[in-house]
Amino acid sequence: MENPLHHFELHPLVHLTLLGFDISINKAILAMWAGLAAVFILFMIVVRGGLSLVPGKIQSLGEISVDFIRDMVNEYIGADGMKFFPFIATLFFFILACNLVGLIPGSYTLTSQLAVTGAFAGAIFILTLIVGFARHGLHFLSILVPPGIPKVLIPLMVPIEIISQLARPISLSVRLFANMTAGHTVLGVLFALATATALWIGWMPFGFTILINGLEMFIAFIQAYIFTTLTCVYIGDVIKLH
Amino acid sequence: MSQGGGFRKGLGIAYRLGTELLVATMLGAAMGYALDRAIGSEPWFLVAGILLGGAAGCLNVFRAFQEIVQEEDQEEKERTKERDD
Repeated sequence: MENPLHHFELHPLVHLTLLGFDISINKAILAMWAGLAAVFILFMIVVRGGLSLVPGKIQSLGEISVDFIRDMVNEYIGADGMKFFPFIATLFFFILACNLVGLIPGSYTLTSQLAVTGAFAGAIFILTLIVGFARHGLHFLSILVPPGIPKVLIPLMVPIEIISQLARPISLSVRLFANMTAGHTVLGVLFALATATALWIGWMPFGFTILINGLEMFIAFIQAYIFTTLTCVYIGDVIKLH
Repeated sequence: MSQGGGFRKGLGIAYRLGTELLVATMLGAAMGYALDRAIGSEPWFLVAGILLGGAAGCLNVFRAFQEIVQEEDQEEKERTKERDD
């Protein structure tokens, strides 16, 4: 049976180097471009089609999704949240598009690479640090001391808080990566089972792949939603500071 | 919020809390191990790191849970207000 993790391997399709860096184009990069193009084209259609007071189908889709993210930003970040709205919206649509593009058979799920999700989470972590220090100055370090604890406990709580703060970007990246990888591995195993057996029994795993594919579509939405919600929560935390 | 929204939120919570605990413990252990390797005091910082990491994980889960409870309280208030109107 074929190794179910085989389809996560990346091989360069076009070899390129720039200033000594390997920037070869592989399947993941093509999938990323496809995701970007999908989002871009969708919103170009929405805007170019002429915005009408009574929205059509595609305009409704665009409005509902943007509205959904705006509610999320308002709820978790607060009144200043709209400054971060473009970033949060971009993040949501990009992750969602990458997750969904990965479900097309033969394409690649960009978010199943820990390097990609780790880069997102690391960038968000650095962003929260910058926002925190810009807003509160050195007072930002008081995020490491929870309010209302006795002074005796401070030496114990500070290491715990440092770990809990550092764990955030890691859990953010691992969650997205692990869920996408797990789903596609299950699909890979089921397809391998379907092709390895005779038709009279092979229809069963094949039927399951269709069900799991539907579930994966749902998980693609859920994971994009969780990733952006938590980004909002983390940014909101450093803005409100307790 | 509609029923579908509640389901989506519930799944969000489920996915969120699971990794939170694991990652914090692993991170604490890794930091303790690195400190041990640097100072040469095996295995004491590893032990302390696992304990602190576990505590940090519990703290993260507790905080996430508090947020959820607050949200639900707010929703409940809004719902009763709507009913009164």
